[in-house]
Formats: sequence, structure tokens, C-alpha cells
Amino acid sequence: MKSLRVIASFIKKEFRQIVRSREMLIVLFGLPAVQLLVMGFAVSNEVKNLRLAFLDYDRSSSSRALVQSFNTADRFKIVPVEQDARAEELISSWQAQIVVVIPPGFSQDYLSGKGSSLQLVVDGIDGNSAAVANAYVAGVLGEFHRRNLQERRIRTPLSKPIAEVELISRMSFNPDLKSSVNTIPGIIAVLVTVTSMMLSAISLVKEKELGTLEQLLVTPVKKQQLMAGKLVPYLIITLAQLQVAIVMAGLIFKLQLAGSYWLLMLFSGIYLFTTLGLGILISTKVGTQQQAMFFSWFIMVIFILLSGFFVPVRNMPPAIQWISYFNPLSHYMTVLREIVIKGSNLGQLAKEFWILLSSGLIIFSISVISFRKRI
Amino acid sequence: MIHTIDLVKEFGSFRAVDNINLDIAKGEIFGFLGANGAGKTTTIRMLCGLLLPSSGSITVDGLDIAKHSEQVKHKIGYMSQKFSLYPDLKAIENLEFYAGIYKVPFKKALANIRDVVDQFGLTDILSSITGDLPMGYKQRLSLVAALVHDPPLVFLDEPTSGVDPQARREFWQVINDLAQTGKSVIVSTHFMDEAEYCHRVIVMQDGREVVLGKPAELKDQHQAGSMQELFLRVLGENNAKSV
Repeated sequence: MKSLRVIASFIKKEFRQIVRSREMLIVLFGLPAVQLLVMGFAVSNEVKNLRLAFLDYDRSSSSRALVQSFNTADRFKIVPVEQDARAEELISSWQAQIVVVIPPGFSQDYLSGKGSSLQLVVDGIDGNSAAVANAYVAGVLGEFHRRNLQERRIRTPLSKPIAEVELISRMSFNPDLKSSVNTIPGIIAVLVTVTSMMLSAISLVKEKELGTLEQLLVTPVKKQQLMAGKLVPYLIITLAQLQVAIVMAGLIFKLQLAGSYWLLMLFSGIYLFTTLGLGILISTKVGTQQQAMFFSWFIMVIFILLSGFFVPVRNMPPAIQWISYFNPLSHYMTVLREIVIKGSNLGQLAKEFWILLSSGLIIFSISVISFRKRI
Repeated sequence: MIHTIDLVKEFGSFRAVDNINLDIAKGEIFGFLGANGAGKTTTIRMLCGLLLPSSGSITVDGLDIAKHSEQVKHKIGYMSQKFSLYPDLKAIENLEFYAGIYKVPFKKALANIRDVVDQFGLTDILSSITGDLPMGYKQRLSLVAALVHDPPLVFLDEPTSGVDPQARREFWQVINDLAQTGKSVIVSTHFMDEAEYCHRVIVMQDGREVVLGKPAELKDQHQAGSMQELFLRVLGENNAKSV
């Protein structure tokens, strides 16, 4: 019991220091707000307001109807262009991102059923957006075609109906394909990682620099008590920050938690053993706060890049995929997305549970052992 | 109270402390004198368990410090050379924290330090943020923090460096009173006038003992008028010997 009291005085002291430092309040509330607002809107692969230009060499009612059909979709912004412009120039001068070239005779070929072709010139600098834009245009063209067929059938009811295959795709869990649905849980995972690792990486080194660590070492405080006294407050702060982030995500992005809140907290708690352990490990190995920052950033950048935050892990080369299998953040991010978006339960996340648990236990034990050696 | 046998500390091939034998009694003020790098701080750090000796043994109150480190640490108060309280806590919060670490109820801790706090005139600044205090107050507060658990053995590593003469005298008054109540006080200093206040002193050079004894007797032995003179004389003799 007395041992708990020692830990309690540590926790009290840490919280007093935290409350008194403005930086910490920024970490708690400022960081989630900024990260969510900036990254939530910026890290997006949604393609909106595509600048679309038409080079209509046909000038028929059909071609005008085709152009008209793009007017209704809010994803496109039709830019007026000189009809003698060249598609490549429109793209390279940033006037348009997509140019649809309607060849002469288009309407004749199309209406006669001979089949007709259109040329689509897409700005391919950002491959992802280009593919998405291409798909949008194809979608609108398909719709245009279907409508025309129907009209023709009504006009000439005796003609043989043309067999039609319609693809009806439904996007599960994210019907609007809103990028933020996927990005926000990712940002939250990154936030939890950054906060916990930074706090713990600086913790001991700061006391080393202040000289207070030496003072602590002449006291009968045990290493376990010292570590617990340091880590419990950081665990609490990070979990508090997580609450703030969840609430903000709900308010700003209308993000609803599909799964269990407590399951999310359970996984976060387990995951924090890994990041806090790594932070403490860094803190015992380095001599100054600057070194601690350097090392923790180094680790975090690798964690984040290989986590599937920007690029899905399954799009990475096999060797990198294999490496990212050992990246705890990658698993935590998966868990967050699954719970927040799909509402997965513990059974469905069993693999991630065991991976995160063992990673936490291993890294935390290593940091406890190396902490002992240091003192 | 504290007893060492052939205490040695080596850092690689460098012998920072070389065969130091000490026997410090209860209620004694024992001074470590020597130039910078003479091995004072290293010896003190070993005595309070911050450094492991390379060889030799230390017992505190009959307990081997290597085997009973936790029990021994309860008996030790330590004021480091470098100011080492939390600057972002209030003075009283620092004291509360250390009381908690030593498992002393805060009320009891306050009773333990009441006299020293009064003597130092610290009562009014206890609710100030520690980092905002002037140097003199910080140093006094450090000493007070080392006393929250009423340790029988107090280590003060250059407690008066950077303190004005008036405050130094006050400091020594407190050290004297602590010894009167039966505490052993081990002080390192490079102010030779302060050495006069010690019951016994050891003069160290290159990790070794040059002389050890009562200031008055040492001055007689070496026909020195003051501690300053004694210090320079014994170090000179020592250098002459080693050449």
C-alpha cells in the first residue's frame, strides 16, 4: 500500500507540472484540433471541382446533350474554351484537368448505332486523382448512354430491345466515399502515437537535465515506482487527448463511432504500452531532450509512413508490407478504422489484439530492463 | 555513523578516489576540502549510494550500503551541488513530493522541518513557484527538502557556492544546529574559512587523503595560522613528496 502512495505522490507531482505548463495544454487540446482540422481537410483523395473542358467538333444536339449531362454533377466545373484550342495545351496551361474531345460525326455514328468514340485527355500528374476523375467521367457517360437508350425504346417500341448490363455498386460502410471517414481514424491513431511517445521520451531526460533525477536516485524510490509514476500520468493524458479528438471528430466531421467505445479504449490502452515503452527506452538511452526529440521523430516518421495512413499497406511492395507487419501503428490504425467505421468486435480483431498485446509486453519489458541498468 | 574501508572509485584507468578510510561519528560535522577534481564529489556520491565503489566497503549505521541500499537511503539526506528541485512546482509542493517519496506523512514532514524553515525565514515563500525564487532561497529550500524525512545523516555537496557571505553564515548556523540535534553532517566546500566550522576535515588531492583531523590540531601540526594557509601548505608538501 505504501508503495502505491509513493506512486500517487509521483502522479500528483506530474499533474501539477502538467497543469502549470502551457505547452501541455496545447498538446492536450491544441494538437488534436489543429491535426484534425488541417489534416482532416487536407489529406483527402476525394476529387472535387474538376475543371472540365469540351472540344466539340460535332456541334450537334447529341453533343450538346452530352455536355449538358456533365452540368448537373457537382464534381465538375465546366470551363469555357476556344474551340480551336488543343487538348494538351489546355492541360499544360492548367485551364483544364480533363478535356473531352467530341469528334466530328459523333452524333451520326452514335444515333445510327454504329458505335462512336470520344477522346478523354486527363492530367496525370497525380495518378490517384486522375484515375478517380477518369472513373467519374466514365460514370457520367454511362448514365448519358443509358438515358438515350431508354428514350429510343420509347420512341420506337417495336425495335428489338438491346440487352443491357447495369452495374450497381454500393460502397459498404462509406457510401459517399468520403475521404474523411478513412482519414480521421488515421489522424487519431497518429495523434495518440505522437503524444505518448514524445511525452515519455522527454520525461526522464528532462529530469536528468534538471538534476532532479540524481535527487530521486538518493531517495529509496524504486525503479518500478518511478516508471509507474511517470507513465500513468502520460497514459491518462493520452487517453484524455483521445477523448478530445473523438469529440472533435464528431463535431467537425460528423464522424460517428460505429463500434464499441470501450473496445476502442481497450485497444488504445494496450497500444500505449508500446509507444510509452519506446519513449521511456529512448529517454534512458539519450542525454539531452534534443536527442530524445530526434530519436522519437525518427521512429515516428517510419511508423507513420509504413502505417497505411497515406498509402494503404496492401499497395506497398511485398518486402515493405512484410516490414509494416511489425509496425504496431499499422495494426492500431487498422483497429481504429475497423471499430470507428465498421463497428468490428473483439472477435474480428483478435489477430490485431494479440499482435498489439505482445508488442506492448515485449517493448515495455525491454524498456523496464534497460532502465534498471542505467541507474 | 558512517564508516568506509579502502574506498576506491575508478573511471576506466583513472582513479578518482583512492583508498579513502573514514569514520564519521553521530553529531559530527565533517568537511571535505580540496580543489576541483580532488575527488570530493565522487566520494560523497559513493557515500550516498549514487555511485557504486570499484572496491572497498561503506557501512551506514552498521548497514552495508551495497546490501541494504533502501534502508540506508531512508537515513540519508542529500543536497546536490546543482540545484535540483522542480522549478515549476511551488516550494511547498516540492517538499510534499519528497515527503511522499520517503513515505513520510506530510504533516510529520512539516514538523520535521519546522525549525529549519523558521531559521531560514522561508515561511513566507513556501507558496511561491520554486523557479522564481532568488538563488539564496533556492539553496536553503534544497537543504530543507533534504530534511523532510528527518535523516540522521545529511550530505551537503558545496551547499554555499554562489551564496553571499551573510547567507553563508546563516547556512552554517543551521548546519551547526543540525549537528546539535545529533545529525551527522558531511559537507564539501572550497571555502577555507568554512572549514573552521567543521569538527573534522579531510583534505583531498588526486583522490587521496592528504591530511585528516580537527582543524585546530591540523593547524598546530603544520604551523599554519589559518585553514587557508594549512590548505596551501599541505598541498604543497604533498606535491613535493609526489615529485
